Amino acid sequence: MKDSRAVGVVANPASARDIRRLVAHGSTVTAHQKLNQLRRLLVGLGRTGVERVVVMGDRSGIATGLLEGADRPSGAAWPRVEIVDEDLTGTAADTVNATRFMVAERVGAIVVLGGDGTNRLVADECGDTPIVAISTGTNNAFPKPLEPTVAGMAAGLVATGGLDLDRVAKPAKMLEVSCPARQRTERALVDVAILNAERVGSGAIWEPGTVEELYLCFAPPDGIGLSAIGGHLQPVDRHEPIGLAIRLTTAEGASASDPPTQRVTAPIGPGLIAEINVVSWSKLAVDQTITATTTSGTVAIDGERMFRFDSELTVTLRADGPRVVDVAEAMDLAARTGLLAHAPANGPDPAQSSPEQTTN
Amino acid sequence: MTELNQLDLYKEMVRIRQFEARVLNEYHADKTPAWDIGAGLIPGEMHLSAGQEPAAAGVCAHLKKGDAITAPHRPHHFALAHGVDMNAMMAEIYGRTTGLCKGKGGHMHLFDPENHFSCSGIIGQGYPVACGHAMAFKRKGTDHVAVAVAGEGAANQGAFHESLNLAALWNLPVVFVIEDNDWAISVPRSASTANTSNADRAAGYGMPGVRVENNDVEAVFEAAGAAIERARAGEGPSLLEIHTVRLWGHFEGDAQAYRGAELETLDERDPIPAYAATIGLSDDQIASIKAEADAEVDAAVQFALDSPVPTADDALLHVFA
Repeated sequence: MKDSRAVGVVANPASARDIRRLVAHGSTVTAHQKLNQLRRLLVGLGRTGVERVVVMGDRSGIATGLLEGADRPSGAAWPRVEIVDEDLTGTAADTVNATRFMVAERVGAIVVLGGDGTNRLVADECGDTPIVAISTGTNNAFPKPLEPTVAGMAAGLVATGGLDLDRVAKPAKMLEVSCPARQRTERALVDVAILNAERVGSGAIWEPGTVEELYLCFAPPDGIGLSAIGGHLQPVDRHEPIGLAIRLTTAEGASASDPPTQRVTAPIGPGLIAEINVVSWSKLAVDQTITATTTSGTVAIDGERMFRFDSELTVTLRADGPRVVDVAEAMDLAARTGLLAHAPANGPDPAQSSPEQTTN
Repeated sequence: MTELNQLDLYKEMVRIRQFEARVLNEYHADKTPAWDIGAGLIPGEMHLSAGQEPAAAGVCAHLKKGDAITAPHRPHHFALAHGVDMNAMMAEIYGRTTGLCKGKGGHMHLFDPENHFSCSGIIGQGYPVACGHAMAFKRKGTDHVAVAVAGEGAANQGAFHESLNLAALWNLPVVFVIEDNDWAISVPRSASTANTSNADRAAGYGMPGVRVENNDVEAVFEAAGAAIERARAGEGPSLLEIHTVRLWGHFEGDAQAYRGAELETLDERDPIPAYAATIGLSDDQIASIKAEADAEVDAAVQFALDSPVPTADDALLHVFA
């Protein structure tokens, strides 16, 4: 049973800081901007009935900034703010620990401010707790740029039980990556890329020429990042029960062993559009497992280089990812059910004044 | 928040302008030779604020007794709007013993402890002082605010950034006001400043930054009111950049050859007649408000002229080394 009056908040202090500010035109989202977004989020949560917000701690002053703000006049409309009671590491482990804490506290929803990577970590731990994903990353496919005030209202309405989850928070697809030698399975919310790069290095992928295989949960033609490549071969919606598997090559012309059959112009980063040589592509069915053609290289998950491998690697599409709140859908349902349209404070009873309530 | 009173804002701007116009006349009246800034009844450099009245009137309308202002080398408009005694100010400008600093400071060094008003000829150095005022206000548990005023050129000084940093870190009740008159002496901002708006710089310190365009006194009034109210409530510092106009030279005697064709259109940008039109004042009202201001300025000049000139012995008083 969820605590319908509590919502968790994970704001990744490290998002929008990686090398893509140097090699592309990625914007910097400062800690101050994230704090400001959280202030707006808390107003949305507070006004939709949420009484308690459990916020991930961080070393960038975001969570403590919220605590300080709670005592000021502008924080009067906020729910009570608590910081997750876990030791900080300054790494991704903080996100994992905070999500586990929030799930144990039975929060009704978790709002995530970050990029694809942050959401992936939360998705691995959140179970059936719905997540609201606000993009504060660089080129995010999974979270959307949302106004936090409205996202907070949607999260509040979801947490307090005002909305049908099957309609506004459908499960996301995920890709499982298994490498027997590693004895663990990784999950991706957007894409799995196999690169012929030697090093994990700075993490972010910004040299598309190194990508040999690409697996996608969804492929929006208006997206940015590696998933955009798929979007121009075969658009795939977030909730369509298929994914894509794509083989790429860096080689040009007939001399290549796997000559390209298509060339896709794709926006793979902020201000970065690449010509991508596609050898072949196919649809992936749910629960279908594919063994990678490549047997050694580097695996990137959701756009970040994660680990090297030298043995067989399999990728499986799953349809039982986290429930992700579609804020537009949630607010649409709220509007259609009149959740936020009230009678004046001392006006007539809304049930009496509704034009649709003609008979009972 | 203070209620907007259009007539009061207009009167304050006229009062400042008539003061500045009179100082302009008196300054040049007996400056012989003209290039000798030490000559005449008003010695020293003179930086007048004509055109920048909306900033002072709009901001100071929200201040109360005990709030602090630190102003730069061009201080008269803020001093007058903040309630510094006009007689004592004029006497200081004339270098008389009845002046705010007994005639030792001159127009760039107006210190009025009672009204927490100070200014400095050293660019940007009012910022840390304002933080000091604000820190004292906070520690004493008052709801007073400090306002630090300087020009857009001063925002390139280290002291500006150090002050924003500390104000944000300590959540001080201070409002940083930048009067952007497009010219740092003779240097246009495009030649000196990477940011097209200094309001953007506030973001680096996590404080709100607002830019007010068009030298509009009511827009200044609203933005300053919100910033000052926020500071009083303990919500922390903020930065307000006001795009204004310097109608006259950087200093008196500045031929302003560097301004080129802009000089020909300056009269059209005078905010005072524009505001009189906005609020619909009649010619009679305009004349009467001007006459009232002139009478106050006349009295201040007379007070200064009637006041004693310091003696050689006075030079040894109130010094510490």
